[in-house]
Amino acid sequence: MTPSESTLLEMRGVRKTFGPVIALDNVTLNVKRGEIHGLLGGNGAGKTTLMNVLFGLYKADAGEIAVDGRVAQVRSPREAIGLGIGMVHQQFLQVNSFSAAENIVLGTPLRNRPTLDLTTPKQKIRALSEKFGLSLDPDATLESQPMGVRQRVEILKALYRDAKLLILDEPTTMLTPQQVDSLFNSLRAMVKSGLSVIFITHKLREVLTLCERITVLRNGKSVITLAREEATEDTFIKAMVGEEMNIGRSLLFAKSSYETEIAQVGSKELLKVDGLSVEAASQENQVISDWSFTLREGEILGVAGVAGNGQHELAESLMGIRPCKGKVVFDGAEMTTLVTRDLLARGIAYVPENRWDDGLLPKATVAQNLILGSHRRPPYSNGLMLNLGAILKRSQELIDEFKIKTESPQSLAANLSGGNVQRMMLARAFSQNPKLMIVHNPTQGLDIPSTEFVYNKLLERKRAGMGTLLISENLDELFLMCNRVAAIYRGRIVGVLERGQFDAYRVGRMMSGLE
Amino acid sequence: MDQFDSFIGFARLILLALVPYVLASQGTMLSGRTGVFNVAQEGIMLLGASVGFLVALYTKSLLIGIVAAAVAGGIIGLALAYFSSTLKMDQFVIGLALFFIGLGASSLAFKLVVGVTLQLPRVPTLSNLRIPLLGDIPILGEILFNQNALVYFSVLISIALYYYLYQTSWGLELRAVGENPKSADSLGVNVVLMQYATTIIGSALIGVAGAYLPMVYTGVFTQGITQGRGWLAIALTFFGGWRPQLILLGAFFFAIVEVLSLRAQIVGSAIPYQFLRTLPYITTIFVMIYAFRWTRVPAFLGLNYDREKRSLS
Repeated sequence: MTPSESTLLEMRGVRKTFGPVIALDNVTLNVKRGEIHGLLGGNGAGKTTLMNVLFGLYKADAGEIAVDGRVAQVRSPREAIGLGIGMVHQQFLQVNSFSAAENIVLGTPLRNRPTLDLTTPKQKIRALSEKFGLSLDPDATLESQPMGVRQRVEILKALYRDAKLLILDEPTTMLTPQQVDSLFNSLRAMVKSGLSVIFITHKLREVLTLCERITVLRNGKSVITLAREEATEDTFIKAMVGEEMNIGRSLLFAKSSYETEIAQVGSKELLKVDGLSVEAASQENQVISDWSFTLREGEILGVAGVAGNGQHELAESLMGIRPCKGKVVFDGAEMTTLVTRDLLARGIAYVPENRWDDGLLPKATVAQNLILGSHRRPPYSNGLMLNLGAILKRSQELIDEFKIKTESPQSLAANLSGGNVQRMMLARAFSQNPKLMIVHNPTQGLDIPSTEFVYNKLLERKRAGMGTLLISENLDELFLMCNRVAAIYRGRIVGVLERGQFDAYRVGRMMSGLE
Repeated sequence: MDQFDSFIGFARLILLALVPYVLASQGTMLSGRTGVFNVAQEGIMLLGASVGFLVALYTKSLLIGIVAAAVAGGIIGLALAYFSSTLKMDQFVIGLALFFIGLGASSLAFKLVVGVTLQLPRVPTLSNLRIPLLGDIPILGEILFNQNALVYFSVLISIALYYYLYQTSWGLELRAVGENPKSADSLGVNVVLMQYATTIIGSALIGVAGAYLPMVYTGVFTQGITQGRGWLAIALTFFGGWRPQLILLGAFFFAIVEVLSLRAQIVGSAIPYQFLRTLPYITTIFVMIYAFRWTRVPAFLGLNYDREKRSLS
């Protein structure tokens, strides 16, 4: 085969802007037939934007797409599907109230449109699911299904439409390590049968395991494309993070030099939770039942679990947002009955996972958002009036320290991009200098230097003897930063692992209720 | 008041009163199932009543009048679809504006065409259509199969909508648009086209519901002839959980209350008729509180879908 014959997809000079933001700038991508092509980059590098352009969801400002050597116009997902492109979005695009089979056949030309007879489609779905090891029940309604199954539905959607090229956007974020292995096996089976796969991720380890060739994106530009065996890990890291980071001294990449420091813990108990239970607001079942744990000074305690197993409820009950039963002792005093305002005053801060709904006042200024929670205390307030001078001065300091990209402290918070909103949330929590900080997925949506920055901040807190409860769906993050990790499943603590016993597969089993 | 006192008369009246609720509510449901929440029913019905009446008056054909009412409703629907689906403007604000336009246009059209007179012009009311054989069944035949054509139409359209939504793949696509338009879009369903089609057809049905009032009840057009039935149609749509089959059932309840309150108005009763007329609203609220799962609304109802917007909702 000549090079042009082996090429399935070519994207050349793609540019896409959102208002003043340049999301993609002269990006080039080349995917061969029958390969798993890794698209690697930190958050905000433009990976998803590029794929949305390819799938016809975004209209590119410039650039060219060629499939099978022919230049193609992709103006809508329908045209993309027609070209044999299938995409599994990071947030699944599914109709929750429909069955798996209904979601899969939706939009396809059924032979017998007026009757909605799904017998034949279901046979095809079963055949595909057996061939590639994507087991599921076609008749089950999706809202009752776990994330792993719902992801298989998304993949089957593309396969059912005879996709030649399957795009997977960060497919491993919501999976346990076991599910990741099974997904990788399915993908290998697919390329063996002639498909091509574009695998989007920010996790280097995954592309090195799975992909034959890797394209690295950074700040909306394609940096390099290399075959896996052509380059070392360091090459890819450098391409991902650029020159601004000192990799040799980095917490993320030179883990071992920080090990002794991270393993240290104080002796005094900071937080003691005894029999904490939270009932769901709408139904009677408990979402958290009978949790007991302690957190010592200078400790980072991790909570590992698949999203929706009680993490949100734990954070909110400790912050006094959600009513709960049980006893919580903080810094020697019982605080079970205290309201959020008092908890803030006693030195607890919270970085919620859902920053848009739970963390941010979009129509308030960046400065106002930054001092929210401390706004009742001096120097920001004398009890009656806000001291605008002090607020602006402090928020400018925080904007500089946390590198929040905003025109001024007086701009509206709604104008910040996702990563900058997260930096603002973190700046607010860290600046309160709380004895206990509850952080939920703190590095979600952050690029690599910012993630590194957050980890260093957590380490600083540790040195100062402060406690942190780190709730995260990212096992790498938990294993890197935590002294102990509690694995939870369906509102129960399944087990607690000490640093040194960390094992992704063991935690994976615990998180899926197998242990 | 013989009609009220005999069972047959009472049952016939309920079927008669059923029609505007069913048509207006199915029209609301149809566009709602693609995410377009129409709140201009009262205005569309008034416009349908006015236009339908006037056209029928001048063409001497009730059928042409009904078609004209459907067209008038469809035009309002087109406007709603354009502002919400194409321009992504707030559906409630546009809906309320269209309500006022319908309200104003209905009386304006009447005044321009008819002028101010003491003797209101009349159209003949829609005659009964006896179904052969079935109409001869004792009692039932008289109640069910000796009604005007729109009674049959409203029942048939409900059945057709049920079949369409739940038994065809087009219906599957339509429902998907109202539940998760991005998902539908990513699978090649034309979201905008779906929204235009359902909103125009739905509003046309609401227009016919309006034309029904002068053509069956009164023979004349008066201002405010709908008496809040448009608003009640929204309540009925929630009451029926946005499902055509339950909307048809729920409409019986709304129709019974209407007939009873009419009776209370005419013969007098211990319960004030004003109270009876509020019953459907109150019941709807209770249904929504206690049977929330049942009254499940389309997930994307009232929201606008923008493909390039980065987050849904």
